Amino acid sequence: MSPEDIERHVDASAALIGLPIGPEYRAGVVRYFGIATSLAELVMQMPLAPDDEPAPVFVPVSPP
Amino acid sequence: MPAVELLRGSAAAVAAAVNGGQVTAAEMAETALACIGATDGRINAFTELTAQRAMADAAAVDARIAAGESLPLAGVPYAVKNLFDIQGLTTLAGSIVERGKPPATADAVLVQRLQAAGAVLVGALNMDEYAYGFTTENSHYGPTRNPHDLTRIAGGSSGGSAAAVAAGQVSLTLGSDTNGSIRVPSSLCGVFGLKPTYGRLSRRGSYPFVASLDHLGPFARSAGDLALAYDAMQGADARDPAQAARPAEPTMPTLAAGLGGLRIGVLGGWFKEMALAEALAAVDVVARGLGATRTVEWPEVARARAAAFVITNAEGSALHLEDLKTRVADFEPLSRERFLAGALLPSPWVVHAQRVRRWFARQVAASFADVDLLIAPATPCVAPVIGTEWLQIAGQRLPARASMGLLTQPVSCIGLPVCTVPVWGVHAGLPHLPIGVQLIAAPWREDLVLRAAHALEAAGVVRAPIAALE
Repeated sequence: MSPEDIERHVDASAALIGLPIGPEYRAGVVRYFGIATSLAELVMQMPLAPDDEPAPVFVPVSPP
Repeated sequence: MPAVELLRGSAAAVAAAVNGGQVTAAEMAETALACIGATDGRINAFTELTAQRAMADAAAVDARIAAGESLPLAGVPYAVKNLFDIQGLTTLAGSIVERGKPPATADAVLVQRLQAAGAVLVGALNMDEYAYGFTTENSHYGPTRNPHDLTRIAGGSSGGSAAAVAAGQVSLTLGSDTNGSIRVPSSLCGVFGLKPTYGRLSRRGSYPFVASLDHLGPFARSAGDLALAYDAMQGADARDPAQAARPAEPTMPTLAAGLGGLRIGVLGGWFKEMALAEALAAVDVVARGLGATRTVEWPEVARARAAAFVITNAEGSALHLEDLKTRVADFEPLSRERFLAGALLPSPWVVHAQRVRRWFARQVAASFADVDLLIAPATPCVAPVIGTEWLQIAGQRLPARASMGLLTQPVSCIGLPVCTVPVWGVHAGLPHLPIGVQLIAAPWREDLVLRAAHALEAAGVVRAPIAALE
């Protein structure tokens, strides 16, 4: 993701979920989103098999 | 022994003295409250004292002792990170956002269990807001200062929990650990800390941070006191959805079993590359003490750490989304922009991170076929000066606050039990500062990490002296 892509994503996704980001915070949010992006790249580059299921296991809740 | 001397000793000795009638729980509570009053202006470990409750609880303990009961933590003064519910108080979780919310209607489960074991709650402890930090430089309530050097951080996010024990204000504290928040402050304040296996202890009645990764656990000045408290807190709680269906497995019976038969290795790769000289020296000290010679390397540690980061950022932000929308100015300046950014992460990143986490857990499980315990530094360095922004690690200029968790995150990411043990004198220029080493075992083997910590302590390799506060 380019720096411009990150800025566009931050603005668009914040608008989509109704999260106002004031001008005093925007540069910081873009910076932290950039850090998350670089770490997410490490995660997304990891090849996984179909049976590498997500870690949390849902436990059905029985009636009391 | 007078109460003031007992307070500086072990929780086990306090309980023995209270059970034996040499001192009352009331005297111990008064002594702890007086010590906190005399010292906390310099440390800022506490955000609230529960003096009235402490005296009432202590009187109840004394009545039980008088009636012939013997309690494992009789009269032991303790305190909890202020994300644990305390009946009648609003749970702040280090924030001002929570101020004005209704008070807790019941104690957290672990507080209930310590109370049943005879321990006496004396207050609530400072932390990073909503546990999102490794330094306890809380802008609302002030930084918690390291009792061994008041110019330096205590670590976080359970900074008050580690500092209160290091300062001798109480014998025992509780904290939480999502990415290192028990192990980092234990390391920097020179105390023992236990992060149990994910799903071991009930989290009900504690303010969550990241449900996928949150753990609760104790801090103390000895491995024996950790075991005592941990055993008292075990037990099923059907209302914590993350708690595993396992029976209590007490650790006290094998605490003094020694090192015989244990296969011990040192973690290499990431855990050496991201550590400064003092952290590597501390690992060497502990490895020698445990007779560990083999090196073990886990695969893809950087990706596992990245997975923990992504999951934390997304889940933590989602939890606070409504407040981020309506009152973001009230959030901690050191973390509010990270929270805002975390609310915007694409869902495939988070789902993939949870899959990487499972993959990593399977690889690491295989590594425990050949070893019972693994050793790694708990922090890359000794405690930085309050306000430090950058650290030089592995030839990179890295943000100091986030980097304090570089070596703990990959381990909590897969929920392994860890006891952090304090080592001294390994930084030539800062010999007064401690640094912690993680003793890591396979899931559900808290007994092994506590047993090894106890053996190291008995051999004089690790220790947790009370700070001189000079």
